[in-house]
Amino acid sequence: MNPNTATKPVKAITAEGVVTGRPVVSFLRAKIQQSLAFATLVVLLVFFSFANSAFFTFSNITGILLSTAVIGILALGTTFVIITGGIDLSIGTGMTLTAVMTAVFIVNFHAPLVVGVIGGILVGALIGFINGFNIAVLKLPPFIATLGMMLIAQGLALVISGVRPIYFSGVPNATGFNQIALGTLFPGIPNAVVILFALAIVAYIILSKTLLGRYTFAIGSNEEATRLSGVDTRKWKIIVYTVAGLFTGVAGTVIASRLGSAQPQLGAGYELQAIAAVIIGGTSLLGGRGSIMGTLIGALIMSVLINGLRIMSIQTEWQNVVVGAVILVAVFTDSLRQRRAAFRG
Amino acid sequence: MKTSKKISVLVATAAVAIALVGCSAGAPGSSGEAGNKQLYIALISKGFQHQFWQAVKTGAEARAAKLGVKVTFEGPAAETEVDAQLQMFQAAIDKKPDAIGYAALDPKACIPLMDAAKAANIPVVEFDAGCDSKVPLSISKTDSLGAGALAAVNMAKIIGDSGEIGIVGHSQINSTGVERRDGFVNEIKKNHPNIKIVDIQYGDGDHLKSADIAKAMIAAHPNLKGLYGTNEGSAVGIVDGVTELGLKPGKVAIVGFDSGQSQIDAINSGVMAGAITQNPIGIGEQTVQAAYDAIKGKTPAKIIDTGFFWYDKANMADPKIAAVLYK
Amino acid sequence: MTQLLKVSGISKSFPGVQALKDVQFELNRGEVLTLVGENGAGKSSLMKILSGIYTRDAGSILLDGEEVVIDGPKAAQRLGISIIHQEMNLMPHLTVAQNIFVGREPRFGPFMRERELNRRADELLKETGIHLKSRDLVSSLTVAKQQMVEIAKALSFNAKVLIMDEPTYALTESETDTLFHLIASLKASGTGIIYISHRMEELSRISDRVTVLRDGQYIGTLEKDELDIPTVIEMMVGRHIDAGARPTARGSENADVMLKVEGLSTRSLLKNVGFELRRGEILGFAGLMGAGRTEVARAIIGADPSEGAIIHVEGKKVKISNPSDAVALGIGYLSEDRKQFGLLLEQDVNTNVLLASLGDHANSLGFMKTEPGKQKSRDLVTSLRIKTPSIFTTTKNLSGGNQQKVVIAKWLARDCDILIFDEPTRGIDVGAKEEIYRLLDQLVAGGKSIIMISSELPEVLRLSHRIVVMAGGRITAVLDNEEASQAKIMDYATRSGDDKE
Repeated sequence: MNPNTATKPVKAITAEGVVTGRPVVSFLRAKIQQSLAFATLVVLLVFFSFANSAFFTFSNITGILLSTAVIGILALGTTFVIITGGIDLSIGTGMTLTAVMTAVFIVNFHAPLVVGVIGGILVGALIGFINGFNIAVLKLPPFIATLGMMLIAQGLALVISGVRPIYFSGVPNATGFNQIALGTLFPGIPNAVVILFALAIVAYIILSKTLLGRYTFAIGSNEEATRLSGVDTRKWKIIVYTVAGLFTGVAGTVIASRLGSAQPQLGAGYELQAIAAVIIGGTSLLGGRGSIMGTLIGALIMSVLINGLRIMSIQTEWQNVVVGAVILVAVFTDSLRQRRAAFRG
Repeated sequence: MKTSKKISVLVATAAVAIALVGCSAGAPGSSGEAGNKQLYIALISKGFQHQFWQAVKTGAEARAAKLGVKVTFEGPAAETEVDAQLQMFQAAIDKKPDAIGYAALDPKACIPLMDAAKAANIPVVEFDAGCDSKVPLSISKTDSLGAGALAAVNMAKIIGDSGEIGIVGHSQINSTGVERRDGFVNEIKKNHPNIKIVDIQYGDGDHLKSADIAKAMIAAHPNLKGLYGTNEGSAVGIVDGVTELGLKPGKVAIVGFDSGQSQIDAINSGVMAGAITQNPIGIGEQTVQAAYDAIKGKTPAKIIDTGFFWYDKANMADPKIAAVLYK
Repeated sequence: MTQLLKVSGISKSFPGVQALKDVQFELNRGEVLTLVGENGAGKSSLMKILSGIYTRDAGSILLDGEEVVIDGPKAAQRLGISIIHQEMNLMPHLTVAQNIFVGREPRFGPFMRERELNRRADELLKETGIHLKSRDLVSSLTVAKQQMVEIAKALSFNAKVLIMDEPTYALTESETDTLFHLIASLKASGTGIIYISHRMEELSRISDRVTVLRDGQYIGTLEKDELDIPTVIEMMVGRHIDAGARPTARGSENADVMLKVEGLSTRSLLKNVGFELRRGEILGFAGLMGAGRTEVARAIIGADPSEGAIIHVEGKKVKISNPSDAVALGIGYLSEDRKQFGLLLEQDVNTNVLLASLGDHANSLGFMKTEPGKQKSRDLVTSLRIKTPSIFTTTKNLSGGNQQKVVIAKWLARDCDILIFDEPTRGIDVGAKEEIYRLLDQLVAGGKSIIMISSELPEVLRLSHRIVVMAGGRITAVLDNEEASQAKIMDYATRSGDDKE
């Protein structure tokens, strides 16, 4: 090696640790986690198909997709937040609150269906906006700000609903509400699945083609540098959390539509499943790195895994063990990948 | 280094936050100050979010109003929070009520507090699920094993006493979950040899999870003739799952538990064959009555069976049944 | 020459601190003004005012003869004042082009025009003669190239005034040359450059004028023809410093061998490295960036895997497979990156001093015996002359030189007899450097042995009794101080590792 050339790969310490100076290799590495996740998904599909003939049937696959919808939509929104290096714990109970509010608008206030649905989604956006404000302006740590919001949303959902489910059935202006999730715009495929994929495309475009997406990565990569570059990071962080809130709102509509009711006690714990999906999909909890495709794959891995284990009649207790292990393996692989990168220096 | 430090800070802060929330849930309303005129009974439930507990609360409040006593009704946010419930129990003892009504989440963890209540001369009655202690004077509850068996008898009747069936449980830990399952399973094994239980899985009473479980079971067992859900969330989840699959109503016979709007609708539309209802309002009433009797020096019955009923499309309008259903 | 920027009467105070008091300087079109001063002299505060991060309390800034208000980074950018911060201010997960134009992306509504972005970046890189690929991820670049990205970004604002805060901090000689060529062409095009540096040898190379600050005050300005390094240093520190000093009387040549390394290789770089370190000796390691000096240190202390090394400590053969083994044998390593690897900046001085020796200050149950520990910290703070209000001051509030002393105190508290210093004076100002030098002299006089890795040749010559020169992962020479000179060291440092002596 000739020490005089400036092109020699010298170790560079960056937010990702030590990496070498080979762009192609590092580009490939960036894709590995995603392709690894994809490979895992394929392996799971193949395995379960052979393990039980009931697995790979049209109705079971659409069932898997439908069961991915709610967690998947939450995960899409929270991908943005996690790429900025933040976290959003309020999406689970936030979803519950938006579902309850949609029901209140439609059932109690007799609002037209469309108005009620949009109103509910806007409640989600409001939750996200408040999160963003607390984090970006009041400088609360995201973990704490959204933990507080998680409890507030849970409490409000119970208070507003009177600790009772609110049913859409038999309410005249709610006719067709269950079609939002369960109707079939495309034969055989529930609309909730269509909504999930449509939102994934929207999220993909936002993340890769718009300023919002660029600043999402920039903030997660080096927030101070982004701010010094003249970008109003406070504004963009508020927008990011608001976007996550919008997705939460849509998830609230979908779950309420699927259940035909707003269940005020449902939703706690969903945030952790969504975050797990995001992480399995290769998005870094440290920020700066992540993808929508990965999140979608991560969410599918979770639901394929659970469905497959159920089809095989594995005990519920063991299902939890397996899912937990998969999360650990996914995150470990990711850290291994980064450590390998460090060694190559 | 930096990250792990960050995370540990977060965890610590979260722990503090959760601890704070846990504390604040402990003391609702200042009670005891009502003076010695009005009697005060503190009820500690297994939960409050579920419809069932809301119905118990309704019954308790109705009877309290009738007897002219004051009741408070509280329970942890989730039926897994044994420690939070114990804190509530301790707080109740500290408030020195005239009697305590308690529904144990864990039959062992409550024993020391039962002794503490006895030491403080506070009579304790139980409801729904008991504590392994000699202190409580009485328990008002549903015979869950019997209720499970009744569900099995009806399931057998509907599917013609043969074929494959599955169970979507709501808990493999909690005593009601276990007894409703075991009552059902034992009855099938003993008296219905041609019926085979092919799978038992648990959805935590979460509608969505239960729906997905039901769908997976139907996919894995195409000849499935019946599904039994051990609580409201499980049963409604099964209904949702079957509806989403677009199966003809009745192709898979669904037997549920408890009531609520969704189950009542499903029975009316024929998707659900029928369900077992307990008498939660009765549980509430009997608990308050037993506590009242204990304060007044009367000895309440050791076990007050508040009863359970099979209901379906045919008998739902029966006033006796309609009275114990809640929406 | 036309005047571009005239700054006068600038004052700025923070609670309890007067950071700047009545500071002035002038910058003409097409010239390089070098701003020097010790850490804490107020250079960064002044630059932060110019780039809109701080607002001034008093004073005026005239740009092209007009009074300007700079109330944020954006305002500074609009006025054509760009700054390249000393700390890397890039987003590693974005590409070169994305970094350059962050905040100013060409767009169509909310959508970005990525192709246009890359086209503009390519154009800019071509114009400025910076050899980078616009689509490369910044995290895949070397530190030097990352620095180039910063420069390209600063230039992309069509900057009239370009502020560079220690730009050669992490650059190799040849990269520094490239940078200076770039500066020359910028000057030619009329850009005014404010250049902040600690490296005295750079001063005479590129400065048209030098303005000196001390303790937040303007001391004076030297024109190019009156520029003289000792004078500049005197102005900076307010007293005379001997720049050509050599080490004090060396220890005996027959002193015990404290550390003997033979046949040290690593998979990627080092080849058959071997040397001896004697008691009471400072052994300098010189070489270009990437020659393998830091790698030697890390391999010795077991921080990185190595192959075939035979290591003797005080005559006994030892096996070191991780840093805790090295510490147990009394070898302390002081990383070149104090902030990242050497200190807990958010913790107080006491915690940092005792960090490596906590075991000595705890009882068998793991409870801390606080009083003896505090006493030890106080003693070390006094003996090393660490300037801190108390041992409970948060370490990040100390100056760079004093932070370095805290790291040294940490290893002294651990009773290490062999200390490996990696760039001990990096980022430390001239006056404080002299303090560190004296301290190293004292340490060896007291029987410690020191390996000192340094990229600054005057420093190597000033301190080392013997000098190990490395190139391409091999040792190319071991020189006695008396026979060594900058030219000789550079000669060996630029030999390809394959040429045997």
